[in-house]
Amino acid sequence: MEADIKQKTDIVGKFRGNWKRWLIHLFPIPALLVYVSFVVIPICSAFAYSLFEWRGIQRGQFVGLDNFVRLFTVEPFNWMFWNAFKNNVTYFVIEMIAQNGIAFILAYILYTKIKGAEFFKAAFFLPRILSVIIVGFLWKLILNPNFGALNVLLSKVGLGDWARPWLGDPHTALIAIILVNSWFGLGFAVLIFLAGLQSIPRDVIEAARLDGARGPRLIFFIILPLIVPSITIVTVYTFIHAFEAFELIYAMQGSQGEPYYSTDTLAVYFYRLAFGGSAGDSVAIGLGSALAVVLFLIIASISALFLYLVRKKTVTY
Amino acid sequence: MPRQVRIFWVWALVFAFLLVGCSGETDSGSGEDQNGQEQETTAGETVKLTITSWRTEDTEAYNRIIEEFNKEYPHIEVEFRPQKNTEYNTLLNTALQSGSAADIIQLRPYQAGMQLADAGYLEPLDSIIALQDFPPEILEAATASDGKIYGVPLSINSAQIYYNTRLFDEYGLEEPKTWDELLDVAETLQQKGIIPFAIGSMEGWILSLTHAVLGPAFYAGNDFVEDILSGDKDFTSEEFVASIEAMKELAKYFPDNYVGLSGDDMRTLFVTEQAGMYVMGSFELEVITQLNPDLEFDFFPTPPASGGEATITTWVDGSYGVNADSPHKQEALTFIEFMTSEQFGTLFANELKRISAVPNVQTDDPMVQKMADLAAENSTPYMILVYFNEGNPTTKQELEAALQGMYLDELTPEEVADKVQQSVNTWFEPNKE
Amino acid sequence: MTGSHYSRPFQYLIVFIFTLICLYPIVLMIMSSFKKNMEIFQNPFALPRSFNLEPYMKLLEQLPFFTYLLNSLIVSTVSVLLILFCGGLASFYLARFKFSWTGILFFFFLLGLMIPIKLGIVPLFMLMRNLGLTNSLWSLIFMYTATGIPISILILTEFFKTLPKGLEEAARIDGCSDWKIFWVIVLPLMRPALATVAIINFIQAWNDFFFPLIFIQEEAKKTIPVGMLSLFGEYATDWSMLFAGLTLSSLPMIIVFLLASKQFMEGLTSGAVK
Repeated sequence: MEADIKQKTDIVGKFRGNWKRWLIHLFPIPALLVYVSFVVIPICSAFAYSLFEWRGIQRGQFVGLDNFVRLFTVEPFNWMFWNAFKNNVTYFVIEMIAQNGIAFILAYILYTKIKGAEFFKAAFFLPRILSVIIVGFLWKLILNPNFGALNVLLSKVGLGDWARPWLGDPHTALIAIILVNSWFGLGFAVLIFLAGLQSIPRDVIEAARLDGARGPRLIFFIILPLIVPSITIVTVYTFIHAFEAFELIYAMQGSQGEPYYSTDTLAVYFYRLAFGGSAGDSVAIGLGSALAVVLFLIIASISALFLYLVRKKTVTY
Repeated sequence: MPRQVRIFWVWALVFAFLLVGCSGETDSGSGEDQNGQEQETTAGETVKLTITSWRTEDTEAYNRIIEEFNKEYPHIEVEFRPQKNTEYNTLLNTALQSGSAADIIQLRPYQAGMQLADAGYLEPLDSIIALQDFPPEILEAATASDGKIYGVPLSINSAQIYYNTRLFDEYGLEEPKTWDELLDVAETLQQKGIIPFAIGSMEGWILSLTHAVLGPAFYAGNDFVEDILSGDKDFTSEEFVASIEAMKELAKYFPDNYVGLSGDDMRTLFVTEQAGMYVMGSFELEVITQLNPDLEFDFFPTPPASGGEATITTWVDGSYGVNADSPHKQEALTFIEFMTSEQFGTLFANELKRISAVPNVQTDDPMVQKMADLAAENSTPYMILVYFNEGNPTTKQELEAALQGMYLDELTPEEVADKVQQSVNTWFEPNKE
Repeated sequence: MTGSHYSRPFQYLIVFIFTLICLYPIVLMIMSSFKKNMEIFQNPFALPRSFNLEPYMKLLEQLPFFTYLLNSLIVSTVSVLLILFCGGLASFYLARFKFSWTGILFFFFLLGLMIPIKLGIVPLFMLMRNLGLTNSLWSLIFMYTATGIPISILILTEFFKTLPKGLEEAARIDGCSDWKIFWVIVLPLMRPALATVAIINFIQAWNDFFFPLIFIQEEAKKTIPVGMLSLFGEYATDWSMLFAGLTLSSLPMIIVFLLASKQFMEGLTSGAVK
């Protein structure tokens, strides 16, 4: 082998160099193959479904954009769409405040070298390792109006008037689910923020402190701009999760967005259209696929926008 | 380097094969069976059938029924493979579209199940002679739009008002014979600190079921149904609105936080004797007795509001059909034929404490027998499920959502009726005769 | 370093409150599983009067829990290994080589983060059937690998960009091939990022219930979340059974986490952002 190679001429050597350089193009192939076969192709076929007419689960003829038009112009589909969309936006906004706001505060406290930081981190992160379906069932039991721990607790501490059917009242059901989701995702956000904080060079902070930056000013003008990458990751992540919200709602409220569509989200609505209601009525695969295309466009365009804006704003040091 | 190159090529080949595998995008519908499992079955060879159903709780009973079947047909092995109720349709639709569904399929009653027949997934059951003995109103649940029968109706559900006899005796209460007496009973229970009705509006289906039981007290059951179907009346008529209003008025006799209670919570209230009455279907009988074997309870039919008869609400609860793609159609039809026999009906009724749809079946459970007798005597259909479970979302779903809205003070009873009528207008054609 | 002395107790208070909020529901779940139903309803917060193991006995009798556990383990582990292999190679390529198409390719992978993959369930089911993978753990492994690749490529590529190129360039001048550079120099430096990717994807695969719900009908091939699902329909009113089922489902992951929480944390914190 070795002796062979030594005898090669320069030309062959050059050729071999090229060939080796060509080898590098094999690197992304395995990932590409798996990803294309099990994500891209199935999704494209599913998108194609939105261009056909469906009777039950039987594909009919090609109807172009008819399903999209129906989705946005025919009652009650259009009403359901905007109602679900509104709930998704609520989901995102409350997650940003409740989950990520608190997560930043907690991360900042941990960053300031509090005792037992390792333990606290682990404690915040523990819910995140449970299965969403398990989390949903667990909280459904805790929030049960007459037997659940939360209402029992409230009446024990003399706040019995506050006890309510959390998941049965349309004013509280969605909020309750979002807060459960925040409970689930808090630890992850804490860790991401903490990583961002710890990557700030110490001398930058020291210099700012010498300039007299303290407390809120230090946080808002020095620290936040420096952890823009973490904030972006958390925001995009939260956004995508908020708009794909399905499993938790499914586990806690079923696929009808009960009560009275107050917990309906676009993904739950899609599931209902694509697979029918809980008793197997009214499957509308064409409409469901059209909805999924719209959902995809919303998620993709807004995430891309986030990433684009941030890329322009990232602070380097 | 050559070794890495080889590894890469192996990878590439593996995935190339996978890709070839998935380019075969198939069209759904009454497609061919792609598995090519054309097994010639000769006598003496064992054939395996699978049955799919949404009744996970019935597995043991079915296994005993299958044992009986095997005494006569030892060469047909049958596996009962149920799915959880809430995921049943998802899984069935997916399996049908990809041609991998079970041989025998439990069908939702009426339109919801017959969609599958209309789409060509089911085998018509013309060859099953015994089906001709079934009453036409029962066969309706398994008749598709082409007029052919695609399923053997399995059981008749009735829904009625269960009550705790111990509590009724304790407070000197009788089965109410009129709506006003029912309200008096509720009032008395409430004064004694008992929840009159175990009910929750968290799950929509509970509400349409409850309305189907209580509503006929106001819209004189069957005549009204006929008027609606012929188009002489619609859902905005006063008797229908009155039935919705009555449901709203009953709310003062519901448990605290009833808007957040699920079907399971309601059942818990009734079996733990915290509630006196429980509007529910016959399918709950076995569960109630399992949870509290000592519970003393009975049921009464819906007392009328203004004269007329007390009614019991009935409908057909699902049927079994044969998958048109099944490689063992003949054997599947053999099992379906068995399902029309009195032997099966009796087994079913006794094992599961349900009213069998097979004609003339008697059961040894007195309460089930009482339901069956009443159903034969003076029943009214679960109208919304039987005739109005169509459209998208279905009228039934719309009624459920609107009733939920009413209990949450978002809608008035008139608005509920309007919503139902709007939904009906999107698809329903009355049969003017 | 920041934070003056008087705000310290207040900071501790905040952290304590949220620790309680995060941990207590899980503690409640475990405690309730040892109680009888009446005990759960009457005093949910008291310690269990006795360790009632009956629900666990009943569960293990009824469900092949250890089969579920083994399936979950196989699926999650193999998926993670495949993701690391595919994702590592692809990210190295995307981060280190500038061809006209690398930007597009990177974006193409990122699209996967935004695809609501549940939508593709019918075509996916057909694909699995054509490959003969229904009722096989491979259907899940391929699914989790494919859906895990986008996030992994995002994390790894960002991480590569932060690695100093000096070493690699020195190695290249010494005549090392790309392949050797990748294995000998880059991979060891990648450990923290790989740990992150491994952990994120392991948790995803372990906890997913949608794909096994659709692809797996055989009891012997089910994973924990789906295997446990039937429980909630069957024992809806038996709360001690429900809590025991929830506890049993969560326990393996909780134990792993308690044993290796530092690795979990370190992986996530050192790799997720620069």
